[in-house]
Amino acid sequence: CHTSGMLTPNGKEYAQKIPREELTHLILKLLQAWKEPLSHFNQYIEHHQELPDDSLSKAKQISNMVHELKTGVEKSMGIISNALNGMASSEAAGLSISNEANMMSDSDFIHCFRRDSNKVQSYLKILKCRIMPENSC
Amino acid sequence: MKQKLISSVQIILLLALTTVGLTGQSYPGKPKIIRCRSLEKETFSCWWKPGSDGGLPTNYTLFYTKDSEEKTYECPDYQTSGPNSCYFDKNHTNPWTTYNITVMATNEIGSNTSDPQYVDVTSIVQPDAPVIVSLEAKTSASIMSLWAKWSPPPLADVSSNSHVYHYELRLKPKEKEEWETISVGVQTQYKVIRLHAGVKYVVQVRCMLDLGEWSEWSSEKCIQIPNGQSPPEKPTIIKCRSPEKETFTCWWKPGSDGGYPTNYTLLYSKEGEEQIYECPDYRTAGPNSCYFDKKHTSFWTIYNITVRATNEMGSNISDPHYVDVTYIVQPDPPVNVTLELKKPINRKPYLVLTWSPPPLADVRSGWLTLEYELRLKPEEGEEWETIFVGQQTQYKMFSLNPGKKYIVQIHCKPDHHGSWSEWSSEKYIQIPTDFRAKDMVVWIVVGVLSSLICLIMSWTMVLKGYRMIAFILPPVPGPKIKGIDTHLLERGKSEELLSALGCHGFPPTSDCEELLIEYLEVEDSEDQQLMPSHENGHPTKNAKMIRKETDSDSGRGSCDSPSLLSDKCRETRALPSTVQTQDVREVQENKGGKRSWETQGIASEQKTLLNNESTKSSTWPAAPLPNNQPSMFAYHSTVDAHKIILSTPNVNIASVLMGNEEKHQSQYHITETVHDNTEERREDNLHSKTDQTTVLVKQNRPNDKSPFLNPKLMDYVEVHKVRQDEEPAVLLKHKENSGKTEKYTVTGNSKEYTKVSTVVDHNILVLMPDSRTQHTSVSQEPAVQTPENLHQGQAEKNMSYCLTVPGECKSETSGSEYMDPSSFMPSFK
Repeated sequence: CHTSGMLTPNGKEYAQKIPREELTHLILKLLQAWKEPLSHFNQYIEHHQELPDDSLSKAKQISNMVHELKTGVEKSMGIISNALNGMASSEAAGLSISNEANMMSDSDFIHCFRRDSNKVQSYLKILKCRIMPENSC
Repeated sequence: MKQKLISSVQIILLLALTTVGLTGQSYPGKPKIIRCRSLEKETFSCWWKPGSDGGLPTNYTLFYTKDSEEKTYECPDYQTSGPNSCYFDKNHTNPWTTYNITVMATNEIGSNTSDPQYVDVTSIVQPDAPVIVSLEAKTSASIMSLWAKWSPPPLADVSSNSHVYHYELRLKPKEKEEWETISVGVQTQYKVIRLHAGVKYVVQVRCMLDLGEWSEWSSEKCIQIPNGQSPPEKPTIIKCRSPEKETFTCWWKPGSDGGYPTNYTLLYSKEGEEQIYECPDYRTAGPNSCYFDKKHTSFWTIYNITVRATNEMGSNISDPHYVDVTYIVQPDPPVNVTLELKKPINRKPYLVLTWSPPPLADVRSGWLTLEYELRLKPEEGEEWETIFVGQQTQYKMFSLNPGKKYIVQIHCKPDHHGSWSEWSSEKYIQIPTDFRAKDMVVWIVVGVLSSLICLIMSWTMVLKGYRMIAFILPPVPGPKIKGIDTHLLERGKSEELLSALGCHGFPPTSDCEELLIEYLEVEDSEDQQLMPSHENGHPTKNAKMIRKETDSDSGRGSCDSPSLLSDKCRETRALPSTVQTQDVREVQENKGGKRSWETQGIASEQKTLLNNESTKSSTWPAAPLPNNQPSMFAYHSTVDAHKIILSTPNVNIASVLMGNEEKHQSQYHITETVHDNTEERREDNLHSKTDQTTVLVKQNRPNDKSPFLNPKLMDYVEVHKVRQDEEPAVLLKHKENSGKTEKYTVTGNSKEYTKVSTVVDHNILVLMPDSRTQHTSVSQEPAVQTPENLHQGQAEKNMSYCLTVPGECKSETSGSEYMDPSSFMPSFK
């Protein structure tokens, strides 16, 4: 996966240790890193039309969701530090358009995406329970 | 020395020989049948053992008989089974017969027969032994097994190899003595286990058909069991699970150990790393498992896990198993399942189910988010109802039946990428029966109301049962036939009934003959005469209504029937136009003589009849015949007149109704009714023997209730009945012919003709005798001048009668045979 280089906590303890901002950055970085590959992927499957229609729509949906998620996280956390944000995003953007991203096979693509989305989800949940512990935490 | 020895021996031999020779040849010894055997129940063979041959070549012949047969057969085949044998092939073998077999040894001198041998084919069945094909020793999972395979015994006749053999196998270690016998069944192979490694075994097989004996044991076959030392089989990794997304465990299944104790090692490597690690903990999770604790658990990395089995002989490694811990989370079931019954005010109580997540799952930090699902069913039910709850740890149940017992279970799953946990332990719910006072009151009220209603209804039924029933189920109206009075029927007085119907004269009275009929003629000119009756000689009788069936045109019929008047009567009289009581008086006056006129039906019967509103015809006493014999004249008249008269209480006297208009009419209309009460006296006087009176009443005026006859319309024919044996005469009084009466003889005695059957030639009125009175002759009326008129008159009579009779028109109740009064009915309406 093109995001494998990113240092991300791969355990609960590590994730809990990281301060909030950093975690937020990570999330955003991850989301950013997937922006380009997703659009590429969409274009790809559109052209090839090998997949059934609902898969196509699903893929589009996913990329939209990722984008919205990123926006949302930015908005909710964006006030924290724009500077860091900028750095992270550029780094992520770099990752995004790297060769690695383009060279991924479809199965790798899906596998990597799945994992990263799971990461994002877990981090976000940790964040949520840290910030608002009363809500079903 | 040697030679001496030899020679002595020779001498001895010679001596022996000569002895033998001197004794000579003898007949052969008795052969003996050794055994008979069938291989497959379709063929069999018998062997015998020869006795001494007696020194001469001996022939052996085998004879056999089948049971219940006399014929003796000889052996079909001496060759197949070898010397001294007999082979019975399929054609000669009958399994259901018993063979009586004997062998005869014959030589030149004589013969000898063996003892007979009784052979039942089914009892001598013994197949050949099977043949062991192969023996194999296999080792699987450190268990030694021996595979033995064999084939059925060979048969000469291969085609008939459809027999099912049962097999038995036995084996023993070579050095041992005891066999271990195993029953195999119908298979031709068998796997023997529980063998000792490194031992040489000996195996044998035998077979049997369904019936018969076991074959011989097959030849021995030996096999050496190997010692079983081999490298272990490949183990397989079953599953890996993480209960809380922080640690995980993997389990594997070992293969066969190859006979040696085997070690298992789990080796793994992480994604992107080359280094191979060994399982940190083999114990915590039990045998054949590996537990990865928190330190060794990394997420979002793929583990490559393998298990290696090692023994002295070698090692074997399992297939790699790739695991990403994120996706193998299976939590423990939820705990602390509690129930609470909440009873809010003004609402139905409900049940709240609460639980808590499994203890290990870290839901607080959000690391693991669980979703819950519960299922419940009634205790006796079979199917679970599954309810997805989501991430909340409580659930409110509203829709449970009170009083029932339920079972509930909960399980959970990570919200993404995991599998469901096991179900929690069963929790029992007992719904309390909700006995609200409100409901009770409602039921009580309903019960009371309904009971009240029932009471009221039953009471009304009791009191006004019939009316109610009649109201609800109105009685079915019975048929109402005019003239028929059911009460009359019930009473059973046929006379009355029939008279009600208008049938007169039935049953005919026996003394009708005796009755004289006198008729009263009423004329316009008031020249009334009463026909004297010839009752002198006749005892006064209560006039009975002789109902003439012919007259039974009751009211109408009698209208129609022309009444015959005696000549005498008619000629001299002119019909008075009005009925005058004077007439009656005159009658009375005239009565002094022998005149009597019979009043019709003066009898109370008549009255009753009349009262019963039945039309009657009464016969007037006919005018006396010239011979002065009492004659009976009967003519039909409508009884309606009677009725009319009777109905009018003022009318005391039978009055003759006459039409006013025509005086020249020769019509006589006489109605006479007599009231019992007032006319008693008169009645007596009036009574004549004749008990028939017919009253012909016609009335043309519907309004006029008084019995007036319309002379114009009226015409009557009076049947004069001759009393004596001479034929009764039918006198017809013609309308125009005032005084003319014609007399007709009628055949038959004492016949009454009260019916007109036909009118012929416009002149002739054909009368029919009254069938009921058994008159047979029909009289014809010659030259009735106005037959049509008659008919009309009759009709009109009918009609008039109907009209006059107030509300008592019985038009067709009589059995009028010649006229259908119903045809006139419409005119009335």
